[in-house]
Amino acid sequence: MSTRLRRSALLFVLAVLAVAGSGCATAKVQPWDRDLMARETMRFAPSKIESGTDDHIYFSKEGSVGGLGVGGGGCGCN
Amino acid sequence: MQLAAPERGLAARRRIAAAACALIAAAVPTAAHSQEATGSWTLDTSILLYGEQDRTEIFEPVARISRLFSNGHRLSGQFAYDAITGASPTGALPSGQLQTTTTPSGNTVTIAAGAVPTNEFQDQRFALDGEWEAPLARTLKSTLGAHYSSETDYMSLGGSASASYEIMDRLTTLTAGMGYNADKVSPIGGTRTGLSDGTVAVQGLDNPKNVTSGMLGVSHILSRRWLVGLSGTLQAEDGYLTDPYKVVSLVDSTTLEVSGQLTEKRPDKRQRASLLFSSVYHLNEDVFYFSLRGYSDDWNVRSGTLDLRLRHELANGKYLQPHVRYYSQSQADFYVPGLIAGQALPAYASADYRIGPLRTGTLGLTYGFHVKGMPGTVSLRAEYLRQWLATPGGEGEGEGGGGDDDRAAGGGEVRAGPVTTATIDPASIQSNMPPLNIGSFLIGYTVNF
Repeated sequence: MSTRLRRSALLFVLAVLAVAGSGCATAKVQPWDRDLMARETMRFAPSKIESGTDDHIYFSKEGSVGGLGVGGGGCGCN
Repeated sequence: MQLAAPERGLAARRRIAAAACALIAAAVPTAAHSQEATGSWTLDTSILLYGEQDRTEIFEPVARISRLFSNGHRLSGQFAYDAITGASPTGALPSGQLQTTTTPSGNTVTIAAGAVPTNEFQDQRFALDGEWEAPLARTLKSTLGAHYSSETDYMSLGGSASASYEIMDRLTTLTAGMGYNADKVSPIGGTRTGLSDGTVAVQGLDNPKNVTSGMLGVSHILSRRWLVGLSGTLQAEDGYLTDPYKVVSLVDSTTLEVSGQLTEKRPDKRQRASLLFSSVYHLNEDVFYFSLRGYSDDWNVRSGTLDLRLRHELANGKYLQPHVRYYSQSQADFYVPGLIAGQALPAYASADYRIGPLRTGTLGLTYGFHVKGMPGTVSLRAEYLRQWLATPGGEGEGEGGGGDDDRAAGGGEVRAGPVTTATIDPASIQSNMPPLNIGSFLIGYTVNF
């Protein structure tokens, strides 16, 4: 693994710890306060079909990958 | 006293309401978003119309159907078909004179003076995806996925597995996943040797390309309105990573005129890493989506992506959703606009703008509504994309040249070869990538039944 990838992995672990730890610093959200969280719109990618279409477009037109999931379809991508 | 009784009654009703909400919320995993009825089917369909100015056009209908069973399991299947026609840039530079080239399928093509050389093509792609979500415990869920897609010169077969675990009173969800794709590249006209004149091609060769990916993520409910997440992915690619149809122009060192071309050649390994921060914030009625992605790989491509969406609720279930996205990447080590004829060849070279100092800007707008007398939601989305290369000496300069320490540490054949000695100063020649305008229109329909 290259130095940059190791640095990226370390940065990621630190960031995960920061986000996970932030729960201790904020007021606890009670179960009866999760009405908004139960809505379909409160997802990072509300429509799988739309986000899949976008991933495919950008994967074939740009030099980067990476998002919320793993795997998925490769293509020849002219 | 007369006032106290109603207050006590109100307080009691609030407590009962809160307890009822607590029961409902406790039964719902935060990641599972349970507005759909148990045992229900969901049909999600879309048609994509995509067009690049003077280049590729795509017609893509997609259908996804999923069923949520009473035991919490969910099965999903998706079918997609792409009809792709048009022209794709070869990577060759425009010339002041007529250019005559041979296409991969053996045809001779004449390119007008000053025109960006392109290959005409048409293809069809079929893709099948399946997914199975299974709750293993109250706070633990697994997801298995499978993928198959096929087009004339490319086949992809893959699988993925991930698990999500909720902790801290289900406010935090940890996710880990792995995926593997075993793809095959079968170039039309045969596989040509990299950095050759392309006249010799090995017929009938299926070149393997394997992709292994891993993902770790955490999401956290910060408040009643705010959900944030962080996910990191590592991906290793191994095999035939060259684009079989791209070429690199040979340029005369004194006249800077195009004198010939070679097939491109890329390394057969690539390690990629990305980090994505996402946020969803519920305003009074509207929802604001924000994501920021950083990316780096050992070809020295680094990129940043900013994505903003605002779902603005209108009356009667209608909504408008503007979308803005900006993407910026540095060029790969071996990206060159062209090579000087007669000089020593580098180990790898590609003039594909997609690994050049690329920028992409996106503006979009979605309108969602219900059709009277019909269940489900219809959405219409129009987007405009513009892609361009950073001008030499401008904003993109230097982004691709850093990381000397990493080159030494990373080793490998990517950095071998005196690429710079054979590289043309991009400022001295006409770019093979004028700004590209792209339009897309997506019609979607989602219904639960």
